Amino acid sequence: MIIRPASVLLLVLTCSTALAQDMPLTQVLLPGQGWELVGSGYKFTEGPAVDDKGNVFFTDIPNNRIHRIDAVTGKVGVFATETARTNGLMFGSDGLLYGCRNGDRQVVAYAADASHTVIADNLPCNDLVVTSDGRLFVTDPANGKVWHIDDKRKKRVVAEGIHPNGVILWPGQGTLVVTERNEPHLWTYRVEADGSLSHRERYYLPLRMLPGRERPGSDGMTVDAAGRLYVTTYAGVQMFDPTGRMGGVIHKPQRGSLANVVFGGPRLDLMYVTAGDKVFRRKTKVRGAPYFLKPRAGSR
Amino acid sequence: MTIRLLLISNLLLFVAPLSAQDNYKLGPDSMVQDKVPQGSVTQHKWTSKKVFPGTVRDYWIYVPKQYNGRTPAAIMVFQDGGTYVNTKRQFRVPTVFDNLIHKGGMPVTIGIFINPGVIPATRKGARPRRNRSFEYDTLSGQYARFLLEEILPEVSRSYKLTDDAELRAIGGISSGGICAWSVAWERPDKFRKVLSHVGSFTNIRGGHHYPAMIRKTERKPIRIFLQDGTNDLDNLHGSWPLANRQMAAALKFTKYDYRFVMGTGGHNGRHGGAILPESLQWLWRGWNGKSGSKDKAK
Repeated sequence: MIIRPASVLLLVLTCSTALAQDMPLTQVLLPGQGWELVGSGYKFTEGPAVDDKGNVFFTDIPNNRIHRIDAVTGKVGVFATETARTNGLMFGSDGLLYGCRNGDRQVVAYAADASHTVIADNLPCNDLVVTSDGRLFVTDPANGKVWHIDDKRKKRVVAEGIHPNGVILWPGQGTLVVTERNEPHLWTYRVEADGSLSHRERYYLPLRMLPGRERPGSDGMTVDAAGRLYVTTYAGVQMFDPTGRMGGVIHKPQRGSLANVVFGGPRLDLMYVTAGDKVFRRKTKVRGAPYFLKPRAGSR
Repeated sequence: MTIRLLLISNLLLFVAPLSAQDNYKLGPDSMVQDKVPQGSVTQHKWTSKKVFPGTVRDYWIYVPKQYNGRTPAAIMVFQDGGTYVNTKRQFRVPTVFDNLIHKGGMPVTIGIFINPGVIPATRKGARPRRNRSFEYDTLSGQYARFLLEEILPEVSRSYKLTDDAELRAIGGISSGGICAWSVAWERPDKFRKVLSHVGSFTNIRGGHHYPAMIRKTERKPIRIFLQDGTNDLDNLHGSWPLANRQMAAALKFTKYDYRFVMGTGGHNGRHGGAILPESLQWLWRGWNGKSGSKDKAK
């Protein structure tokens, strides 16, 4: 067998590229590790958000409370009350917890003592994402709009004509992803320097739909450090690779609602989901990529 | 030292099985021949404004020496154009075209070799949106529209291209192979010849539905050459050898004009490249009015 070194290298490159492109669920899930109950007895849980210690905050919308799951003990406590049906949540790099305070039609920022300041008014919103430099993208399903709030807290519409629900950025924050509950795809947009959105595409497609249902019910999303995207749907948590190909569906922890997902815990390897009256988590092989962290090499 | 040893053992792991399965050699029609006129290849850039807005890509145009500027040329489009236009690697399409056009095995054909699009990120350091899978694997007429509304009109500004769908072919490897099929499937009024190398008729974005769709859809006027290998991929998206066998069985059932060649190779272009001259002659047979006999499956 005579093989020239150059062709050997080429072969190996070809193989490794092919392997690197495939992202099956086995790269994410640990054998024998299923869902674990974190908390129950809520009315409707949403908006899981991780802080820089790995603590996870979530909202119980009808009960007007935001809860905190301790990164170390896993115990759940109340963080804020009378939250005016606060929905989507995310931490900024300033340590504040930004939220869609929907009952007041406001976007607000909660401080560590649970007091809040208003970031934007007259904005009925569902979900939001905070960039590492303190700007926000906010979905407004009622009016079919995506808003951008700049670092001077000026708001403007950057996308419309869709019914946006969940919103997330790629780890490098150059691409924005938006869900529509009733469409078999997720939208991607390029983020321009001034926060405007361009080059919309049905990049994530097709989503898994349950037999007999014409809608995927896609809702909240998160990303991991390798650029995989996770979206909650009727069928479960659907995982996509960075080129928009669906890599697998993770079972729901229970029947019924599955609204949102985030990676938390001290190592950011615990997948948390808000599922109706409960919150669950499971250990994974991957790590979340919150924007307030400096991106790891290759994760952009 | 340890690293080097590890590397070498890895190399052998990969190479030892591959070399036996992929031992396909290029023939004389893939080599530059004296006295055969050589066409020219030019490289271009395209920014899509309409069908895949924001994407940028390279593409190449091959023009045979025999093209005279008066008679409309046949067309053959290739996905992953850079792979097919390269005259040192497995496919060497410009050289194969030179040889086959010279001997009348195919018509005077302008080759259009198009790379998949990329949407560069505006934000510094952010990853670009690679559009290959979206463009190639999606079951829709969008890529056909991209060719018909953007690329062909652009190439037509410089060259006279035929409107005859029988003289318009499209080919590709892997996801580019299923893309070629999708273009003809969606627009058989515009493209009727398909060449697929290790085609991804698997569930990357629903491509595994094609065999079922072919069986339950009135036959379309498409001729297709399918190549695959028994050591092709088997992964989360599906089994490539099984998927290509399903395609061949469905094409046979619906009495398509098809040919299926199953080799022993893996997910690469070695086998497809080695048999490219005969594949193209089968695909283009009867182009000059002398109708070729309708080949049955092997």
